[in-house]
Amino acid sequence: MTTTSSATQPQHDTHTELSLAGACRVVVLNDPVNLMSYVVLVFKKVFGFDEQTARKHMLEVHELGRSVVWSGLREKAEAYAFTLHEWQLTAIIEPDEKN
Amino acid sequence: MKRIEVKLSLPVVAPLLDVMKTVADSLEHHLAVPLEHVEFDDDMRETWSTDLLGAQNDGVRSLLAMFDHEFFESGVVSFDEQNAEPILRACAALRLHLRERYLKSFEDESLESGDVEMEELSETLRPVFMCYVFLATIQELIIQHLDSEILEG
Repeated sequence: MTTTSSATQPQHDTHTELSLAGACRVVVLNDPVNLMSYVVLVFKKVFGFDEQTARKHMLEVHELGRSVVWSGLREKAEAYAFTLHEWQLTAIIEPDEKN
Repeated sequence: MKRIEVKLSLPVVAPLLDVMKTVADSLEHHLAVPLEHVEFDDDMRETWSTDLLGAQNDGVRSLLAMFDHEFFESGVVSFDEQNAEPILRACAALRLHLRERYLKSFEDESLESGDVEMEELSETLRPVFMCYVFLATIQELIIQHLDSEILEG
């Protein structure tokens, strides 16, 4: 006599893993035109940065030619880059190699 | 609604409006910041271009609307929470295009510091550079005088 169990054994374990695969960075590039005070204002307005953080990023753009202002999922990166372009800043999206 | 009014010198500013209008017309179908550095597919590029151009033209219209009947009577222009942001962005767009179209021969450092001798500029370039500086002055006025509630909210 064979006994059977009604309990179903899963054939595969599944688990959910949060991944930032495909994560992107929003990078603002320097231009010789936009005022420092304007760039600080844009960073505060678009990203909600405080004055000190906004100034830090503005100085990076000014002195190093670029600053990573945000990283995360591609869709949101595109939205930020679009908004920065609306404010007439040059923003690019690049893969976030750390993730 | 917080509003700031600035009295400008009509004889100084009126000639700059011609430069502003010329640059605005030339920008009507072009983005001041090209999308060449952003990598995405053609459909998305087209969508972005259309939307950004629409926003850019709206801003430029707000800027030019500042120089209305009242301005030509009294020299006064005004900024408030309705027009501050579009005007700020339009000033940036026109300055970028002025630089691209007329001021390419200048060193970046000279333009950033404003260290340009007016006497050394040609008759054609003088109003262009004055317009470039004037647009920056408008931006500084807005940034300094409209409080954070309006501009950062």
